[in-house]
Amino acid sequence: MNWTNRGDHNSALDALFRAYRDACPDRDASPNFMPELWRRIEERQRSVFFLGRWARALVTAAAVLSLGMAAYLYIPHGPNSMFSVESYVEALAAGHAQEAPDLAVDEL
Amino acid sequence: MLVDFEVIKRAQAGNAPAFNEIVLAYRKRTLGTIARLISRPEDVEDVGQEVFLRLYFSLDQLRTAEVFEPWLYRLTVNAAYDYLRKHRRRMESRMSDLSEQQVMLADAMAGGRVDHEDRQKKQISESVDAMLSAVSEADRILLTLKEVEGLSLKELEKIYRVNENALKVRLFRARQRVLKAFGESGNEPQAKGAAKAQV
Repeated sequence: MNWTNRGDHNSALDALFRAYRDACPDRDASPNFMPELWRRIEERQRSVFFLGRWARALVTAAAVLSLGMAAYLYIPHGPNSMFSVESYVEALAAGHAQEAPDLAVDEL
Repeated sequence: MLVDFEVIKRAQAGNAPAFNEIVLAYRKRTLGTIARLISRPEDVEDVGQEVFLRLYFSLDQLRTAEVFEPWLYRLTVNAAYDYLRKHRRRMESRMSDLSEQQVMLADAMAGGRVDHEDRQKKQISESVDAMLSAVSEADRILLTLKEVEGLSLKELEKIYRVNENALKVRLFRARQRVLKAFGESGNEPQAKGAAKAQV
């Protein structure tokens, strides 16, 4: 039989696939299959659980930090505080006087 | 369906015996499919467990009974695909480590320990594995499902979620690539022997 043409290749390939199907029948699992499966399921559940706990802890910590920062910004501090309570115009005037006091004197 | 949808519903609710029932019903078939998809008997159970693990954690997404089997096939295909991709490099190096003569010698030595039929099955399995290793994992899986598992185009449509025409094109191209590898690998005598053995 000549196996070189495409049609023969096709039928030979089909025969090989059929033989492969027969050579690899459905197989049953070992007795260890179910215990090992449940061990993996529980392991995955544990890791998901711990990841969830870490995520919750992280969110809680971030919320607490945000609240702390907000409280710190909201509570007024002394005049030398980095967060001033004076108005914008007052702050601008003070800033101008600090930046160019000599210029103001020369012009006069 | 090998199990009632009621069982699946109970498993969705977290009932462990119901999930066990599903695994027991589909285990044999799933392991057989995996064995034919990956051609590595020693890793079949590991991949099978991965399939059922994925099933366990995605069971709550299932809405209707009729999609369960295609869905399980899909999980099987994805797990086999991941395995094949992960192990392709290892398989290639292993194949290149052994020359053809070494393989034949190993087969001849093994011949004393296993009977003729087992040896022939092993040879067929190795030939198909070597031939399918020459094409992509996607081609390998698609062709195995169609030609070896005997799934219909309708069933493949549900698994791959693409229309019949697109599947036909993909199948045709995959088959052409395998035919090319088949011609180059010199598997014809093997196939001829297999065909004769079947007759």
